Amino acid sequence: MSKLPATHEAEIGCDECFEELHIFAEMELKGKSPGDAMPLLKEHLDNCGECRQEYEALLEGIKALGNEDA
Amino acid sequence: MVRFFKRRSKSYQTNDDWIRALEPPPDEAALDQLRSFLIRGLKASLYKNVDRGLDDFVKDIAQDALLKILDNYKSFRGDSKFTTWAMKVAVREGYTELRKKRYKDISLEEYSRYDPDEKDVIEIEHQQAQPDQQAHESILVQKVMDIMEEELTEKQKKVLQLLMIEQIPMTVVTDMMQSNRNAIYKLVHDARMRLKSKLEREGIDHEEVLNQM
Repeated sequence: MSKLPATHEAEIGCDECFEELHIFAEMELKGKSPGDAMPLLKEHLDNCGECRQEYEALLEGIKALGNEDA
Repeated sequence: MVRFFKRRSKSYQTNDDWIRALEPPPDEAALDQLRSFLIRGLKASLYKNVDRGLDDFVKDIAQDALLKILDNYKSFRGDSKFTTWAMKVAVREGYTELRKKRYKDISLEEYSRYDPDEKDVIEIEHQQAQPDQQAHESILVQKVMDIMEEELTEKQKKVLQLLMIEQIPMTVVTDMMQSNRNAIYKLVHDARMRLKSKLEREGIDHEEVLNQM
């Protein structure tokens, strides 16, 4: 119910979000504004708790690895 | 010969290095390096959500993720570092497994007794409300319940009950409904759109509804 006001017709789903999530994460870590560049993905992250949780965890993981290469 | 081994044991720095190394048959050294990278990243990603056995858990997840990466690396479009993309695959694998583990005792059978005619699943507290306000809230809640009953499909009602009332994670609901996460998300999105549209047509304020439910 709390998601009702933010619900829009054009919202993307979890699959489309996952497709682009790594790009969004790298932009965030580089201090760019991924939400401006990819507003539909940002909207999905705002509305989908599971995708948001995975996104935040992805940021944590990449940050912890720092700039090291695999 | 020494130069050959030095070359073989190099780090995989570029995306092209990784893609070449994962071409069948995959380079074992690359797999070891990627596995080790995923394990370190997963520990940082998951430690807050795993109480015990983090090391073993992330090793298992890294191995499962590695198989997924080998199956899907050709879909990587080079639009980030390869390792970021790989980490994304591993994190989803980890959280999917965590959510399932957490709710492993809930079976589809347990929730298949859902009765769409049952309307008393949401209990509204009126302790602080005045009599007039109580009556207004009751009418509003009943109206919304009626709208849900009229506007939503049986499947939408069932999924909303599992997610909203039972508070079961979407990953688990997806398994219960033998569906996939994207389809369940879309189903819920469609339900929200129907409710929003009907509420607007009925002249009911979203904010007021949210305050009551």
